[in-house]
Amino acid sequence: MKFLVHIIIQTGRNLQKTWTTQLMTLLTVSLSVLIFAFFYLVYTNVVRAGENLGDHLRLTIYLEEEPVAEMQAELKKKINDFNEVESISFTTRQEAFERLATQLGDDREILDDMDPLFLPPSIEIYPRKDLNSLARIKAFSQYLETLPGATKVQYGHGWVERFHYFTKLVRVIVFLSGALLILTTTFMVAYTIRLAVLNRQAELEILRLLGATNNYIRTPFLLEGLLQGLLGSGIGLLALHALFRWIKMLFTGEGIIHLFEFSFFSPATSGMIIMASVLLCTVGSVSSMRKFLRI
Amino acid sequence: MSKVAVDLVKVTKIYPPNIVALEDVSLTVAKGEMVFLTGMSGAGKSTLLKLLCCIETPNKGLVEVLGRDLTKIKPRDLPRLRQKVGMAYQDFKLLPDRTVAQNIGMAMDVAFENFHNIRTRVRELLEKLNLEHKHDTLAAKLSRGEQQRVSIARALANYPTLILADEPTGNLDSTSTGLVMDLLHNYSQAGCTIIIATHDTAIYRKTNHRVIELSWGQIISQGPSTPSQEKP
Repeated sequence: MKFLVHIIIQTGRNLQKTWTTQLMTLLTVSLSVLIFAFFYLVYTNVVRAGENLGDHLRLTIYLEEEPVAEMQAELKKKINDFNEVESISFTTRQEAFERLATQLGDDREILDDMDPLFLPPSIEIYPRKDLNSLARIKAFSQYLETLPGATKVQYGHGWVERFHYFTKLVRVIVFLSGALLILTTTFMVAYTIRLAVLNRQAELEILRLLGATNNYIRTPFLLEGLLQGLLGSGIGLLALHALFRWIKMLFTGEGIIHLFEFSFFSPATSGMIIMASVLLCTVGSVSSMRKFLRI
Repeated sequence: MSKVAVDLVKVTKIYPPNIVALEDVSLTVAKGEMVFLTGMSGAGKSTLLKLLCCIETPNKGLVEVLGRDLTKIKPRDLPRLRQKVGMAYQDFKLLPDRTVAQNIGMAMDVAFENFHNIRTRVRELLEKLNLEHKHDTLAAKLSRGEQQRVSIARALANYPTLILADEPTGNLDSTSTGLVMDLLHNYSQAGCTIIIATHDTAIYRKTNHRVIELSWGQIISQGPSTPSQEKP
């Protein structure tokens, strides 16, 4: 307990002495955490949105002829053999026509002169939620094209692909901002501790001569790094939360944003980000001490 | 339980490139003894004290302080030993941006002493050295004589077993010298071992303490204070 009180007082003195450098480092750490956490938040929301879209994913196989009952059973078996699906429904030419007419509503008279059997029969497949990767959807679609009597398979191919590439891009940005976070926090904290050590060289020398233990000298610097990580990530996440609330408020109402339920990090994820920052800053502090603190 | 506080056996210290500061010095100081080291500048007094508090290491020989061989001591054991040795430096080694009380308190602070005890002890020492009015003054604003007394107070703060003082009265007037020497005598009577490096013959003239004279890194005489060692 005594040790802790002495160390805290010593840390307070150090911070007071180098407060301008400490403040700059704190701002840098906060900004790095904010940038990383922002893109990570975008990424997690995009991934969640992608999962939601997966719930509504439907693959439609257009057929040459309406399959008879045995053929339907055969097709169901072949589809399930390749990939277990949530449900399969067959649509006859007549049902397709009626659906189109319903969709047209008041304009249904344009179909009056048309043959009610002009639309192709189809199979609608609702895949399971685990079919969420573009590669698997593509493979499944290619397989469905090989089914007997299949002429075309549709699943909103262009949109799904664009969404997939957007997710990929955000993932790359998350990695880049993560690297930025690691570099800035580690180097900035290491630099600040280095300055503090050099600044206090005379004092450290006297402390050593008076019989200060290594822990007495090192722990305050370690605590400084730890505090930088804790406060920096805390401020960064708070700033992001404020930004998130503002954006959410701004886009409240009808529109694309309303299609998805945007959410902030869970307490566990926030805790992980804070822990990672604390760890990085402490590593920076330790590396600086190893280089510049001769005990 | 050894009765020896300091034991030097054939100690040689050579500074680069080839400056012999001490040569084959052997010396034993008993526990509770008060010893004066004298000699002209460059005789090796300060080097000897530096060896005793591990600021320097000998090139040859054995240095034993409070039962610990300093040539073999592990780095992790050094702080504990240093806490038992109070050293008043010739250049004071005070932190100019700290108050007098903070400078003195540092010695107890590193030993994780209770804050109340630190405050009481600092006030007690300042009173004894006639510096109580300087409690909150920054060390940078003190005169050299005051800084010297603060340095001595810091050396005494942690109730050391061994006190090393390098020219403790070099910047003091006769009154302050008297205060400092009275304080050191009290510690000596209480069982503390004290080694004082000095040019000031006045501080040992009227005592029976052992005086060791160094010249060119060698002990040339030692024994109780005699008129021959009293140089004007």
